[in-house]
Amino acid sequence: MNIEELSVRFGAFTAVDSVTLEVPPGRVVGLVGESGSGKSSLAKAVCGLVPYAGRITGAARAQMVFQDPYASLDPRMTVGASVAEGLPRLRGQARAAEVSRLLALVSLPAELAGRYPRELSGGQRQRVAVARALGAGPDLLVADEITSALDVSVQGAVLNLVRSLRDELGLPILFISHNLAVVRYVCDEVAVLHRGRLVEHGPTEDVVGAPAHSYTRDLLNAVPRLPRP
Amino acid sequence: MPRTPSAVVGAVLVTLLVVLAVIGPPLWGEEAARIDAGAILQGGSVAHPLGTDNLGRDLLARVLVAGRYSLLLALAAALVGGVAGIVLGGLPSVLPRRAARFVTGTVNALVAFPGLLLAMFTAVVTGLGARGAVLGIGAAIAPGFARLTQTLAASVAGADYVSAARMLGVPRHRVLARHVLPNIAEPLILNLAQSLGGALLGLAGMSFLGLGVQPPSFDWGRLLFDGFGRIYVTPEVALGPAAAVALAGIGFNLLGDALAKGAARRTAPGRAASVPQPQPHPGEPEPGAALDVRELTVTFPGGVTPVRGVSLSVRPGEIVGLVGESGSGKSLTAAAVGGLVPYPGAVTYGRLLLSGRDAGALTQKELGTSLAMVFQDPMASLNPVLRVGGQLAEVARVHQGATRAQARRRAVDRLGHVRLPEPEKRARQHPHELSGGMRQRAVIAMGLMATPKLIIADESTTALDVTVQRQILRLLREVTEETGSAVLFISHDIAVVGELCDRVVVMYAGRVVEELPVDRLAGGAAHPYTRALVASLPDMDTDRSRPLASIPGRQPAPSEVGPGCAFAPRCPAATERCSASRPPLVAHGDAHRVACWEVS
Repeated sequence: MNIEELSVRFGAFTAVDSVTLEVPPGRVVGLVGESGSGKSSLAKAVCGLVPYAGRITGAARAQMVFQDPYASLDPRMTVGASVAEGLPRLRGQARAAEVSRLLALVSLPAELAGRYPRELSGGQRQRVAVARALGAGPDLLVADEITSALDVSVQGAVLNLVRSLRDELGLPILFISHNLAVVRYVCDEVAVLHRGRLVEHGPTEDVVGAPAHSYTRDLLNAVPRLPRP
Repeated sequence: MPRTPSAVVGAVLVTLLVVLAVIGPPLWGEEAARIDAGAILQGGSVAHPLGTDNLGRDLLARVLVAGRYSLLLALAAALVGGVAGIVLGGLPSVLPRRAARFVTGTVNALVAFPGLLLAMFTAVVTGLGARGAVLGIGAAIAPGFARLTQTLAASVAGADYVSAARMLGVPRHRVLARHVLPNIAEPLILNLAQSLGGALLGLAGMSFLGLGVQPPSFDWGRLLFDGFGRIYVTPEVALGPAAAVALAGIGFNLLGDALAKGAARRTAPGRAASVPQPQPHPGEPEPGAALDVRELTVTFPGGVTPVRGVSLSVRPGEIVGLVGESGSGKSLTAAAVGGLVPYPGAVTYGRLLLSGRDAGALTQKELGTSLAMVFQDPMASLNPVLRVGGQLAEVARVHQGATRAQARRRAVDRLGHVRLPEPEKRARQHPHELSGGMRQRAVIAMGLMATPKLIIADESTTALDVTVQRQILRLLREVTEETGSAVLFISHDIAVVGELCDRVVVMYAGRVVEELPVDRLAGGAAHPYTRALVASLPDMDTDRSRPLASIPGRQPAPSEVGPGCAFAPRCPAATERCSASRPPLVAHGDAHRVACWEVS
């Protein structure tokens, strides 16, 4: 996926200001920034959910996974029906088989297909949302704060899933988060957005280890840490 | 459905009406149609309790027979209006933008139009008679329905699952049929039930005006129309059908209201059951503690116990972190301390002392000055229409009896104390003019208007950006050091707790499972849950080449907690003993307590 000079404006407000960013195949690129920095607007533009100016290539089949797994699954549809939404051409047996395959990809048992979202935990729901996105055969996966609404104890499983999707499917992933520790753990590269502008972009070790921009340093200093003995 | 008197009356009236509609025509149909030249235009008598009409037909029989027709017409009108309204209201979700705007505009214009006028106009255009009246009333009902559908559909259309469907390329009409309509069906059906009563009254009105049912057919409105001319001579001939219309209308409206209330209440926990109360063992109070809680339990009807015998204490100047996952009962514990547990929750405790005084015995005023609470969303604690300074000043005026000028000076002083830049100016601003971090500072300042012994911060920094979060954490630390007040800091984020607090209390499924000094959190935690929680938290030093730990399974809901250790099903070290009996919280080294059979 390639973004060139992308801008998103809402009336007089510029949410994203001529951002150029590349997500190479098989890489997880982290997008960090504070609320109002334009992360989510950028994600929505990439997925075609908001109008934008500039060029986006290689994201024709981009799929997004949302922050709140309680709101992103229709409460009145079974897990199987939700996952099958991205498979309009398949019917009957083939469809059920594909749903099972997708659920297996996100390490969920096939029996879950008959259940309703309310019977699932937050982490399981988030994995269902990932399976649904994978069904469309995406060329880019956009993960918008996908662990922010999850408890720490299940967050790990979802983060591990993101890494395995990259390793096993070679899927490029744009991973949006305000949590630098999480971004550091899953991402190969980190891009820092500040007030709609890209202020720093580079390999994770460089950005986290030797931040070039003062704003990145502020962000890193603010990350809460457990006191280690 | 709630069993209120009005619901029962509504149900009885509607049932009677339906029974009447079924048995009326076969039982009294013949009598209602029998012409008797010898008894024309009579008033009430033993033979004809409601009198007779101009052909000598018995009016009581006619009222009883007309029930079926009236009801069917009302049903038809409500359906016509409902279907037309749902289609009109759903169209904007499917049509291209310009056409959608046109439909929305039309609906808005129609809503502004008087319903009766719309009904009469439609009836006159489509021809006098039952069909015209039904279409007319349908047309009068439709705009309201369309507006309701539109509003409900718009809220569903903004849902993430609709965005997800759009990204998957699901066509709009499928989104409407599959996602939008099923999720708004319930309120629409309720509204349809409520509009039945309105349709019945409306149709009676149309017939009464002569625009509805024409002879030889008759409904209640027509009978009323026929009898109205004689109302001064023999009132009973008009009052009979009038009473029938009124009773039916009242019945439908009461039932519709009851159904709507029932639907609104369904989400709340229902059945009440007697809950076995634990016998509290308070023991000796901890001297000098700002907060001393022993055996605090919160129960809700139906045996739901989100907080189970929690004990904790906070000393003056100390910051204690209360961590746990969502549903662990940490926020309810804080609410119980502040006396804020929502109805119908019941709080029991062995001891609940705020600076040595029983919190239950404190007056609202004493509680208000000795305890400050800071919640996640500062906008929920600030009134959006009042100026920030005025809201703070109110605290001093209510609780400390300060004059207006004194209170105002104190408010500005406190705003400055929480490092809010330009406190004079900020005090004159409304909450929406402040940033999220500034609002949270203002809320903390509000808590500091008095000199609180205890500040309860419930996820106070969760909604803030990391850099702002850091400032607020620093502020809380400074406030504690300067005023000597104690802080109970509730958070799901163990890293934040680790950074701010002196001591950490870990909750799981309503109980305290471990209590330890903060410096032992990373390396010296004893309980398997605490250890797993710390291990599953990625931080800036986590090894990126290894998979992250996570805890399989999920925390049991408050109603599912068994007799043993609640963590046992997810615990790698669990034995049979763990699922059979619950480990008590016992000392585990210095200032460290843990509830686990395997480590204690």
